[in-house]
Amino acid sequence: MIATLFLLALMQIKAPDAEQFVGPPQGTPLAGAQLERRAMEISSEIRCPVCQGLAIGDSPSQMAANMKEQVRELLARGYTENQILSYFEKSYGQFVLLKPKFQGVNAFVWILPVLALAAGFVLVITKAKKLEAAPAKIAAATDEAADDDPYLTRVREMVEKP
Amino acid sequence: MNRNVLIIGIVIVAAIVFVLFAGLGKDPQHIDSPLIGRPAPPFTLRAVGTGQTVDLESLRGKPVIVNFWATWCGPCFEEHPTLVANARNLPNVQFVGIVFNDTDDKIMRFLAERGSAYPTLLDANGKTAIAYGVGGVPETFFINPAGKIVAKFEGPLSTELLQENLEKALR
Repeated sequence: MIATLFLLALMQIKAPDAEQFVGPPQGTPLAGAQLERRAMEISSEIRCPVCQGLAIGDSPSQMAANMKEQVRELLARGYTENQILSYFEKSYGQFVLLKPKFQGVNAFVWILPVLALAAGFVLVITKAKKLEAAPAKIAAATDEAADDDPYLTRVREMVEKP
Repeated sequence: MNRNVLIIGIVIVAAIVFVLFAGLGKDPQHIDSPLIGRPAPPFTLRAVGTGQTVDLESLRGKPVIVNFWATWCGPCFEEHPTLVANARNLPNVQFVGIVFNDTDDKIMRFLAERGSAYPTLLDANGKTAIAYGVGGVPETFFINPAGKIVAKFEGPLSTELLQENLEKALR
């Protein structure tokens, strides 16, 4: 009797499903080695929520193992990478994506390194140009200084005297 | 040129100080839930001990407090008496515990030792926790009578914090 009740309860169990969040699968169901490879790839893009900056693919935590299993299951059902990432994002927010999206404040993460690189490039070019021009200036300045120096003038006179 | 270098330096240092001040005050584990204001993901899970199932949809019409916890979680020990006491004092509010990454016997022992006043459901594969964006335990979701998540609290609840969040579900 108890066993029957337990079985009936098991049959009724229904956890929230990805379909409620991102609709039906839009890809081809995967299996075997291809499934494992894609599961690993997508797991490297999802942040483990209980770790410090680790992907679920690299984390030994049980939470990450549950999430990895969910990724594998969704791929086997034919969900695409975008759908899977979107499902996790709808539960955890953009925090869960290790590669932030190019939108809002996150756009700075993509733009700032390029701007910093461009600024560094301009700085190096400007400096290099100044350094190129510098030896001629220094030589001219040295010649002028030598003409004004009374000691050097005297030495020159002594040397040039027959 | 030196003045320009100084200005650029000041701007860079100011930006770093701003980011540090903005970031250091925050809990690095805190996640702003995108589920606030959205319908609570539906579930039907088995209650530990009774073997009966509880369907979230069937609880519509009254505020629901969903508490994710585990027997291996220290702060959950601390929080449990508060939840049990409030569940007894607030008969019009439905409390539901969801345990993940745990086993029936450990949960039964925990509840026998520390008391129980509401159904404790088993999330065997952690799917429900994932759908709710649970990062660590304990985490508590406050659902209004219409079935929308109105608040999420991370960490052990006190009675004051519980009531403060519950008020959002009663508005």
